[in-house]
Amino acid sequence: MSTETPIPDGSTLRADVRLAMASLENPSTSHTSVASVTSDLSIDEELNLHAVGWQPVELVSGVSAFSVPSGLWNWGQGEIVGAIRAHENAFSHAILQLQRDAAQAGGHGVVGVRVERAVHPTHVEVSLVGTAVRPIGASAVDSLKVFTSDLSGRDFALLDAAGWQPLGLAHGASFVYAPRRQMSTVLAQQSQNVELTNFTNAIYEARETAMERLQAIALSLAGTGIVQVQVVEGPMSFASHAIGFATWGTVVRLTREAHQRVEPQMVMSMNDRASAFEATTLG
Amino acid sequence: MTSVSPDPQVPTGQGSFSSGLSVSDFAACLDMGLEPLGLVQGFCVMRSQPTMSQMSLSMGMTPYQPAPNDYVENYHCPHGIVSAEHRMWGQNYQQTWIERIWRQGFSSAYTRMLSEATTLHAHGIVGVFDNVTPLVQDGIVEFRMFGTAVRLKDHQSTSPPWSTYLAGQRLAKSFEAGFAPVSIVAAVSSVRVSASCVTQYAVEGTGSLLYGQGNDSFEIEQLVSARAAARGLVRQSVKSQLHADQLHGVELLMREHDFGHGDFEIQPVLRGNRVRRFKNFAALLAPRPTVTLS
Repeated sequence: MSTETPIPDGSTLRADVRLAMASLENPSTSHTSVASVTSDLSIDEELNLHAVGWQPVELVSGVSAFSVPSGLWNWGQGEIVGAIRAHENAFSHAILQLQRDAAQAGGHGVVGVRVERAVHPTHVEVSLVGTAVRPIGASAVDSLKVFTSDLSGRDFALLDAAGWQPLGLAHGASFVYAPRRQMSTVLAQQSQNVELTNFTNAIYEARETAMERLQAIALSLAGTGIVQVQVVEGPMSFASHAIGFATWGTVVRLTREAHQRVEPQMVMSMNDRASAFEATTLG
Repeated sequence: MTSVSPDPQVPTGQGSFSSGLSVSDFAACLDMGLEPLGLVQGFCVMRSQPTMSQMSLSMGMTPYQPAPNDYVENYHCPHGIVSAEHRMWGQNYQQTWIERIWRQGFSSAYTRMLSEATTLHAHGIVGVFDNVTPLVQDGIVEFRMFGTAVRLKDHQSTSPPWSTYLAGQRLAKSFEAGFAPVSIVAAVSSVRVSASCVTQYAVEGTGSLLYGQGNDSFEIEQLVSARAAARGLVRQSVKSQLHADQLHGVELLMREHDFGHGDFEIQPVLRGNRVRRFKNFAALLAPRPTVTLS
């Protein structure tokens, strides 16, 4: 076992608990800050952030909803432009609101952003919730300089250690009509198990354009790549011949001369997570 | 059979204890020097329906006039049409009576749980679990709260017990990181949306050509504003309970009730652990990446 790794010491923990109890009874000994902090990060994530010189500031959110012009979903050819525009706008506006909210709280970025989106026949809603973070003790920055990322606090710390920096959330979406088959084709295929090329092609078309939009946003942010790309695709529940493809992820850029190898250490877990528990205490 | 000598850390000789802790959480508690005393509980059943006066306000012919500091936004019809089938105004407003009911139910259940813990001479309550469920019939809700009362061995305290949603290793890590648990904190906000004609048509997908909205996609301002306000209000409510402490492990749950025609209400619930720093972070090592072999 490496001697560099500190081993949890039960007596230190018990001393910490006593110190904590004493501070609750005598608030003057507490290290209270002037401004309260709210964070949805776990204690592990917060410790990881602190280890790389960052701290959580506040829970922030951004929401937007854009209308989809009526009568678009069922008949047509190619892309469903009105729905795509609504999706792109809703995502962009929600990100802008998230950045504003974070900047107002003094954050330099937002990590752990949870993306919730709903595509209705009439409108598209996007909701983003995450924790604003900043380098310890840093002052506020302009909202346009605030980065957004759906990486967890742990992944953010790992990315930082490897010499990379998150730049923002990139997103892309496409909705495409799957053309209806000719009646003769329907009849010919009725008793055959064959590929429905109209749907396959529609998925490919939607995917190509959505990924292109994702890449375009990454390039506009001067990023070199996108990590943790999420994909939601499939037919729209309310329109039998419309295929949707939506994707988003965190744009990253290398900030050092070269990628820093993090050299992960291999460990084999011998039991569950009770690492600081001494079996003798059970008696 | 080999006799086992009693460990001084394990509570003995005062009857058996009960706890809602898992075995590993129980073990971690003992390791922190915390003895479980009992599963403490608090309940409160509340009627949760608008009163007649509130119903007349929300269904009136003119926009609701809220108290001066409450959130409200009015939206007027831009079309200049007077018709029983066309909404002349819309409104977002804060339903403070729902927030009040929730606050009263939650704090009564919490106080009762705390009181049970005090009776047991507990110093804290760990692993708190709470929920709100409908009871018997619509409009009656039950606030439930459970937790395990714990006591720090050989420690005298006159303060009321602290509480936390955490237990086990997560709580141990919080102590090690320099955070003392103060209390669980939760709040709800409630915003009701009475859709304006523009919002109604946008959400229902009707009337866009008739009322000049064309084929353009536009931001549904009333809907966005209501959602942002609901989140802002619940955050503000929770922050007012912190008194310069920190809130960790925040969970934001969004609840919505759709009334149709673009009308709905949003009720975000925000809860977390109020913690107080009792020591500075020690200089932490940079996290060491590991790959677990299994």
